[in-house]
Amino acid sequence: MGNIGLLFEGFGHILTFQHVLLMMVGVTLGILVGVLPGLGAPNGVSLLLPLTFSMDPISGIILLSCMYWGALFGGSTTSILFNIPGEPSSVATTFDGYPMAKAGQASRALTLAFVSAGIGALAGVVMITLLSGWVANFALRFSSPEYFAVYFLAFASFISMGSSAPSKTLVSMMLGFALASVGMDTISGNLRLTFDIPELIKGISFLIAVMGLFGIGELLLTTEEGLRFEGIKARVRISEVGRTLLELPRYWFTVLRSIFIGILMGITPAGPTAASFMSYGLASRSARDKSNFGKGDPRGIVAPETADHSAGTSALLPMLALGVPGSATAAVMMGGLMIWGLTPGPMLFVERPDFVWGLIASMYLGNIVAVILVIATVPLYASILRVPFTIIGPVIVAVIFSGAYQVSNSLTDVWLVVLFGLLGYIFKKLDYPLAPLVLAMVLGDKAEDAFRQSMLLSSGKLSIFWSNGLVSTLMAIGCLLLLSPLLMWVLGISRRRMTRPDLQQGPSENPL
Amino acid sequence: MSSDGARGISRFAMEILVAAATAALGVAVCYGSTEAGAGWTEMGPDAGYFPFYVGLLIVFGSVMNMSLAVTRHRKLGVIFLDARRIKSVSSFLLPLVAYAAVSSFLGLYVGTALYIAFAMHFQGKYKWWIALPSGLAVAAVFFVVFEVGFKVPLLKGPVEAWFGIY
Repeated sequence: MGNIGLLFEGFGHILTFQHVLLMMVGVTLGILVGVLPGLGAPNGVSLLLPLTFSMDPISGIILLSCMYWGALFGGSTTSILFNIPGEPSSVATTFDGYPMAKAGQASRALTLAFVSAGIGALAGVVMITLLSGWVANFALRFSSPEYFAVYFLAFASFISMGSSAPSKTLVSMMLGFALASVGMDTISGNLRLTFDIPELIKGISFLIAVMGLFGIGELLLTTEEGLRFEGIKARVRISEVGRTLLELPRYWFTVLRSIFIGILMGITPAGPTAASFMSYGLASRSARDKSNFGKGDPRGIVAPETADHSAGTSALLPMLALGVPGSATAAVMMGGLMIWGLTPGPMLFVERPDFVWGLIASMYLGNIVAVILVIATVPLYASILRVPFTIIGPVIVAVIFSGAYQVSNSLTDVWLVVLFGLLGYIFKKLDYPLAPLVLAMVLGDKAEDAFRQSMLLSSGKLSIFWSNGLVSTLMAIGCLLLLSPLLMWVLGISRRRMTRPDLQQGPSENPL
Repeated sequence: MSSDGARGISRFAMEILVAAATAALGVAVCYGSTEAGAGWTEMGPDAGYFPFYVGLLIVFGSVMNMSLAVTRHRKLGVIFLDARRIKSVSSFLLPLVAYAAVSSFLGLYVGTALYIAFAMHFQGKYKWWIALPSGLAVAAVFFVVFEVGFKVPLLKGPVEAWFGIY
């Protein structure tokens, strides 16, 4: 197998002291941002990105991707110990993780979570190892119309699969596209949407948007609740880790099913959050004895964690092979690659195999490093959350402001972060999804270029998107996905009409 | 149904307001695109060609959201923000804005030190001799990490100049 050989070469590139050290730094920082309220994986990666500009791309991507793994682990830690999900994707872990920890089995809950998360992540990497070369080869046949069709498909699936109202996803996504097009037009060199404001000429960086939307926005939400953590004292005992490891094979079926869900959701833009909820839902519904779910059933921890992490890693496959990221964090990382001068997509496999396979090899090693580090350092991180929010909150704000300034040494960006923060806060409260906005900001230029080049090829006729089998299939699936909310809505109305008389809705339901 | 006595901004008002704001943005995008040229030139699509349709879709989505708000949120009387939460959020937001403003004049290091000290003293009720050194310490750590470690400087102001740090 060519892929395996390439993988070993990749290991050859990354097995140096410096790279392993970077992995540990990345994972540690990642756990930190995962644990801290207001900082999550997309945000942490954005903050770290300006610091990697001076590194070589392989070191840079190792640092960033390991931060991503660390953040995923950090998110589960707070879910279990504090009942506060550090990441949206670890919400489902609170359902059984916190009750189990509260019942005095914190070590067992944490070990279950970390190890099943590690298994999920490794499964995702194995999938990437086996499939990425093939997908990239396939994608080498793409030209602009096919690329636009792939972008279209990605955005259509956001609209149809998102948990928010489709029109809200649409607005959020299109705002992202609009923000991406501010400044210099890449093809004609003309200025656009700058409204004669000199600060807008250089455009608006997606990093600034992420820091504001996910960072400041999240902090504002947190302050609203008046922060009080009800934590559980946790010390991970080695003996209990061992006993839990022996217990784990019993859940092999749950693990397999969760991996499957995770990989599926990770490759499509549904993402880790949807994966963990779906996996938890399936586990609790299909269990023979449901009585323990919600009270600390081990399967209730294994299922969402495995799915969350396998989706998180799988999200890198479309990013690497197609240039279409599967999650907000993957989008930020892809933006980083473009800043380093690398273009994600099939050509990357041809031009920089050392980079691609170095990254994939680092994913194996990074996740193993992450599992070990996180088990060893959990008590330390848990104690961070006991520091009062009046200290931690402002320090996080200061880190975000410094990071924003460093993106292009401009104070305008700091003010923009404040604005994006307010936007993120209001959008979150009104159930507008934020990930599509970030994705559109990163992909905006590429999607537009693909569209305009297609239009050039066909001299303005949209029929080019139906000109061959491949592009037609992609567009047809995209259109179907776009129309699916409408279909569901029509179905919903007809069903409601049929069952109206015996449909007793509670007062909390919509009276209409 | 706003009989629970809580005063504040209703979710319905907020939904309408945000939808109106995004619609206005959409119109602005359309307008800006036509200014840049939303048509077809001999070199192919003009600079505003793509953003123009993006703007149209923003307007379309906003109108949908507005009708959604009317059908779904009007009669629910859900409160978006009550008076207590407005207070706690603004007590975090206002110092943050002041931080950005002060940093414009004094640089980010001094701004950071002052902001942390202020937040700890007034919100955390720490004594000033704990708060001020903490603020200075955070600024010093930033200096070591960013300036010395990663060689990515932050904005410096007149105070650093007095001490001869560039």
